[in-house]
Amino acid sequence: MQTFKHIGVIALNTFRESIRDKILYNIGFLAIALALFSIVLGEWSVFDRSYMIKSVTLSVMSLSGLLISIFVGISLVQKEIKGRTVLTLLSKPISRASFIVGKYLGLLAVVAVHLVLLTCIFYVVLFLTGSDPTLSLLNAVYLIFCEMAIVISVALLFSSFSSTVLSALFTLGVYFAGHLSNQLLEQVRFASRMGEMDGTSTAIFEKAAVVIHAVFPGLYRYNVTNYVVHGLALPDMYMFWNTVYAIGYTGVFLAIASWWFSRRDFL
Amino acid sequence: MIKIEHLHKTYRSGFLMKPKQALKDVSFSVEPGQVYGFIGPNGAGKSTTIKVLTGLLNYDSGSVLINGVSPRDVKSRTFLGYTPEQPYFYDYLTGRELLKFYGRLVGLEGAELDKRIQWALELLHADKDWIDRRLRSYSKGMMQRVGIAQAILGKPKLLILDEPMSGLDPMGRRDVREAIQQLNRDGITIFYSSHLLSDVESISHRVAMIVDGKIVREGTVDEITESCGVEYHVRTRQAILQTDLPEGVAPAGHPQECVCADDAARDRLLRYCLEKGIAVERMDHKRPSLEDILTEEIARADV
Repeated sequence: MQTFKHIGVIALNTFRESIRDKILYNIGFLAIALALFSIVLGEWSVFDRSYMIKSVTLSVMSLSGLLISIFVGISLVQKEIKGRTVLTLLSKPISRASFIVGKYLGLLAVVAVHLVLLTCIFYVVLFLTGSDPTLSLLNAVYLIFCEMAIVISVALLFSSFSSTVLSALFTLGVYFAGHLSNQLLEQVRFASRMGEMDGTSTAIFEKAAVVIHAVFPGLYRYNVTNYVVHGLALPDMYMFWNTVYAIGYTGVFLAIASWWFSRRDFL
Repeated sequence: MIKIEHLHKTYRSGFLMKPKQALKDVSFSVEPGQVYGFIGPNGAGKSTTIKVLTGLLNYDSGSVLINGVSPRDVKSRTFLGYTPEQPYFYDYLTGRELLKFYGRLVGLEGAELDKRIQWALELLHADKDWIDRRLRSYSKGMMQRVGIAQAILGKPKLLILDEPMSGLDPMGRRDVREAIQQLNRDGITIFYSSHLLSDVESISHRVAMIVDGKIVREGTVDEITESCGVEYHVRTRQAILQTDLPEGVAPAGHPQECVCADDAARDRLLRYCLEKGIAVERMDHKRPSLEDILTEEIARADV
């Protein structure tokens, strides 16, 4: 019980700290501007206006969420260590795992608030432009949130043992690998079926693609923009299983981050 | 309250992870209710020992117990409050907000938390209007007071302070010294490091001296200073010829004053004066100060 309370106190303080961060406001204002700009794009585009507004705004949500998750996420732990505030904090009866989880939940709350704000603007734009504001769009927003939940845990994991710049690079690497791992596997298998590679190369490439696909979180699962924009139904239990998938990956990453962080010396 | 036995700690730095032994077989214990001073030059291992006690540093070998619990166990920190050297806090918070944050982490809430904050602020003479200003505008003295206030909010059994008086003006030092003494009267065991040896001499029940990662002296201030010998300066009404001075007695620069190297030399001189009818005007005993002993130990370690 005490542990949950500690996590809550740290999460609240992290939330407070993050919403005072200038980076957050810059990203937030840029995202709102781009979301509003989607109306203009809809007018200019050869595509349907509704399609343009929906796909551009969802992409803006995903991208801005990613920027917040990475750039605020990687600095969360590093700031505490460099600022030496970690010394007084960890001398309290709180475990290092509580510290990591509290930091994680604080930033997750920031991303949630950011997405809620953008979603409100999104629906206002859809109403004003008469662009079919269906509730199914919320599925896409929710999955962006799940994706960011994983990305924040990755950022925290790397920042628990490496520098800010390296953490940003590693996290971006995981993000791209997570989005491309499925395509990579498909391409390798396709090439193999078409006989474009010799036997040994096929085996090596296929194994490498399988390992990448298995190890990196499959972030491509969380991009359902095409489904919701075209009003297509998602497979049964898609939301549920991908929520479970996000919780699973997040749990593993946070457990590793906590373990690593608990081994660190603080001078 | 604190029991450290054969503690070793090595830092590794650089690309080749070059080892540097920071603590070498450190052993001492602090009994409940004591004010325990921990002194030594910069880089001797004071902060390292304190960070091991607070669980911020892992150690190579040895045994460390706080109230019977290892600092590797989170439970050990339920008994202690800690202020690091030059405390740094979230500068976007006000002093009061910061105390509320730390108070919640030690399980305080609502009216009890407000009451405890008020108590801590009054004890440290920090109940001023600046406590509601953001920490980024604080002076070193204000920061130090807030640092100690956050450490005592949970009324810990053990308070660990790393250089609590460094950088403070005389008034600030006096306030911190008085706060330490008051907290100790309230039953809190205090373990603190300091460079200000006069303060250590005046408020510590026991002292440990660490030089180059090793404990070189440990005991009460009297035990430590007496172990280095006491000199007696004797002033007589009339001068004594240097050739007549008993063994172990030397002239002190003034014709009517001489220095006795130890108790036996003092007794020999007094006997001589009685026999010769020389009146003794004054006698002072001079012990080396902690500073003298520390300087001597540092010089010995450098050889």
